[in-house]
Amino acid sequence: MKVRSKRWHSTSSRLILIYGALFVVWGAVLMGMIQWETTRYLNTVIDQMLQQRMHYIASTDPTRLAATVDAAAAIDPHGIMSVGLFDKDHQPLAGNIDHLPTSLLRDGQVHLLKHGLPRPDRDAERVRARGLATTLPDGNILVIAKDISTIDGIGAIIRRALLWGISLTIIPGLLGGFLLRRGPERRIRALQKATDPIRRGDLSKRLPISRRGDELDQLAGIVNTMLGEIERLLSEVKGVCDNIAHDLRTPLTRLRARLYRTQQQIGGKPEAALVESCIVDIDEVLSRFRALLRVSELEDRHRAACFDEVDVGQVLRQVHEFYMPVAEDRGQVFDLDIQSPAPARADAHLLFEALANLVGNAIKFTPSGGRVSLRVSMDKRGPRVDVVDSGPGIPADERDAVMRRFYRGDNSRTTGGSGLGLSIVSAIVRLHGYALVIGDGSSNGACLTLYCYPLAPEEKAGTCLSRSVPEVASMTA
Amino acid sequence: MPRILVIEDDETTAREIVAELNARGMLAEWVANGQDGLTRALQRDYDLITLDRMLPGMDGIDVVAELRRSGSDTPVLMISALSDVDERVRGLRAGGDDYLTKPFAPDEMSARAEVLLRRRQPQSAQRLRVADLELDLVSHVAYRAGQPLTLLPTEYRLLEFMMRNSGQVLTRTMIFETVWGFHFDPGTNVIDVHIGRLRRKIDGAGQPALIHTVRGTGYMIVTAHETPLVVS
Repeated sequence: MKVRSKRWHSTSSRLILIYGALFVVWGAVLMGMIQWETTRYLNTVIDQMLQQRMHYIASTDPTRLAATVDAAAAIDPHGIMSVGLFDKDHQPLAGNIDHLPTSLLRDGQVHLLKHGLPRPDRDAERVRARGLATTLPDGNILVIAKDISTIDGIGAIIRRALLWGISLTIIPGLLGGFLLRRGPERRIRALQKATDPIRRGDLSKRLPISRRGDELDQLAGIVNTMLGEIERLLSEVKGVCDNIAHDLRTPLTRLRARLYRTQQQIGGKPEAALVESCIVDIDEVLSRFRALLRVSELEDRHRAACFDEVDVGQVLRQVHEFYMPVAEDRGQVFDLDIQSPAPARADAHLLFEALANLVGNAIKFTPSGGRVSLRVSMDKRGPRVDVVDSGPGIPADERDAVMRRFYRGDNSRTTGGSGLGLSIVSAIVRLHGYALVIGDGSSNGACLTLYCYPLAPEEKAGTCLSRSVPEVASMTA
Repeated sequence: MPRILVIEDDETTAREIVAELNARGMLAEWVANGQDGLTRALQRDYDLITLDRMLPGMDGIDVVAELRRSGSDTPVLMISALSDVDERVRGLRAGGDDYLTKPFAPDEMSARAEVLLRRRQPQSAQRLRVADLELDLVSHVAYRAGQPLTLLPTEYRLLEFMMRNSGQVLTRTMIFETVWGFHFDPGTNVIDVHIGRLRRKIDGAGQPALIHTVRGTGYMIVTAHETPLVVS
C-alpha cells in the first residue's frame, strides 16, 4: 500500500486554499465598500453642482435665458455638463440637449437619467448621466444633466486595483504554498519508506525524527514508542514460545529414550508396536519443536554468515533429485526446467532448506497424479525460482497468513506437517533479503515464486510463469 | 572392547551417555571438566571421545583444538546445546568429527559413535561386501549375486554410506547429513522413500533382505543372520 497524497488533500494545500478564498472575498468586500462610498460621495458633489448651476441659470432674466443657455452650452462642447431649454411642447429652444428626457421628473431634484444622455462629441453615444429638470414660471422647461461615466471610471480603476492586488498576492501565495507543501510531503515519503521494513516484520526499525520537533516529529515519536512496546511484547511472546519448546525438548527426549529402551527390552512382543507408535508420536512433537526453534534461530541470525556465490539452478537440481522418489511414489509429474545459470549470493545450505520446504509442500498438497513444476530463470535483477503445482492452491486472503508460524489453511488441515515449513522459508528469505510471492498457478494450483533479489512491496503482485516470459526472452535474445 | 572418554559437565546427560554406550558394549569413562578431560585424553589411548561444547574451565572447542595440536587423531563427537549451523561449522573446523545437538536421542548418539569408531579402521578396500551384495568403489557399480544393479548417483552414495557402516544403525538424520550434506530436519518421510527405492533395487524377489528398518531409529544394512537388534 502506497500512501500517496492527492494534490488537494494535503493539510497545507487545504489551508492555503481556504486562506486564499477568504482573502479574495475580503478584498472584494473592502474594494466594494470603497467604490460604493466614493461613488456616493462623488454623486453628492455632482448633485450639488447641478443644483447650483440650475439655480444660477434659472435665476437669470427670462428674456436672456436662451442666450445664457446657449453660452453655457458653448463652453462645454463635450457635453460634460449639458443644458437645454424646451418650450411647453417639449421643443428645444436653446442649449445642447436635442430631446427633452421625458422620464425626468420636473421636481427640481437630481435623478439618474433613465436612458442616459447622448454625448455630441462621441457620435451621440449615450452615457450614464444625472440631471434635473424644472418648469420655469413661463412654462418653459430647463434641463441640466451631467455625464457621470467618469465616476464609473473610478469604479473600474478600483476593480482593476482589486484584480491586481489579488493576482499579485494569490498567485505567489499558491505557488509558495505548493513549494511549502513539498517539504512535509517529502518527510511523509521518508516516513513511509521507513515503515516498509516494519510492515514486513522488522520491528527493530524506527521512524526518522528530525531536529525540528514539529507535529510530524511528535507523531513519529509516538509511533516509535508504540513500536518499541510492540517489539518488547512480541519478543516476550516469542521468548515464552521458545522457552516452552526448549524446556519441553529435554524431558520429551528423556521420555523417548525410556520408551526406546523399553522397546529394546520387550523385543518382539505385541506391545512393542504400541511403544513404537509412541516413539513416532514423540518424534513428531520433537520435530515440531525443532522447527519452531529453527524459525527463531533463523530470525535471530544476522545476514551474511556463510554467504557465497551460489548457482540457484544447481541447488534446485539437488532439491529436485531429493524429492524425485517422493513425487514418483505419488504418481506426480515432477519436472525441472533450468533456463540458464543463475548465480546469486546465498547460503547454499539455507537456500536448499528453503527450496526443499517449498517443493516438499507443493508435493504434499498436490494430489496423486498431479503435477509439480520447478523452474529457475534469470530476471534482469537476478534469479527467480517458480514452484508451480496443480494442488488446491492458496486462497488470496490466506497468502500472508501462511507464512506465519503454525498457520494452516483450510485446505491443509487434513495433511500432516507442522505448519512451520513456510515460516522457515520466509525466515530464510528475509535473512537473504529475497522475496517470496504466492500466486496462482497456470491452472488452479499454487505458484510460489522466490525472487533471489529484493522486491519492493508494490512489485509483489502479478502471476507466476507468464510474467517472466518476455524477460527471459530478452535474456536469451 | 572400545574405550570411550565422555567429557560432559552435566551429570544427568553424562549418565545417559555412559549408560547407552555401556549398553552397546563399549567401555565409557566420564570426566566432568575440560582440563581433566584433555589431560586424560592425552594420557591414555581412547577409541572415541564425546565432548560437550560448553564446559567449565576449558571450552569444548579449545579441548578439541588442543587435542589436535598435540597430534591426537582420536575421533571426537561434539555434543552441544548450540544448534546453529555456524556453531556446527566451528566445532568441526576445530577438529571435531561429528556434531550432535542437545537434547539428543541416545540411539542417535550411539549410532554416531559407532560410525566414528568404524571410521578409525583402515578402509583401503576397493570393494565393499555385505553377503552377496558388492559395491565397486572404483567403477561405482553395485552387484547383487554377481548381477550388476543400475543405481542413480544418489542411490550409489546412499548405498556406499550404508555399506561402509554395515551392521550399524544409521539414523535418518545421519543419512541425510552424510549423503546429502545438509543439517536440518527434512521433516517428512523423504529419507524413507529413498531407502525404500534402494531396497527395491537391492533386495529383489526371492533374495534375502539386506536393508533392515530399525524400529524407532533408522536403518541398517546387514546379512539377515547377523541382525543384533529389533528389526523388521
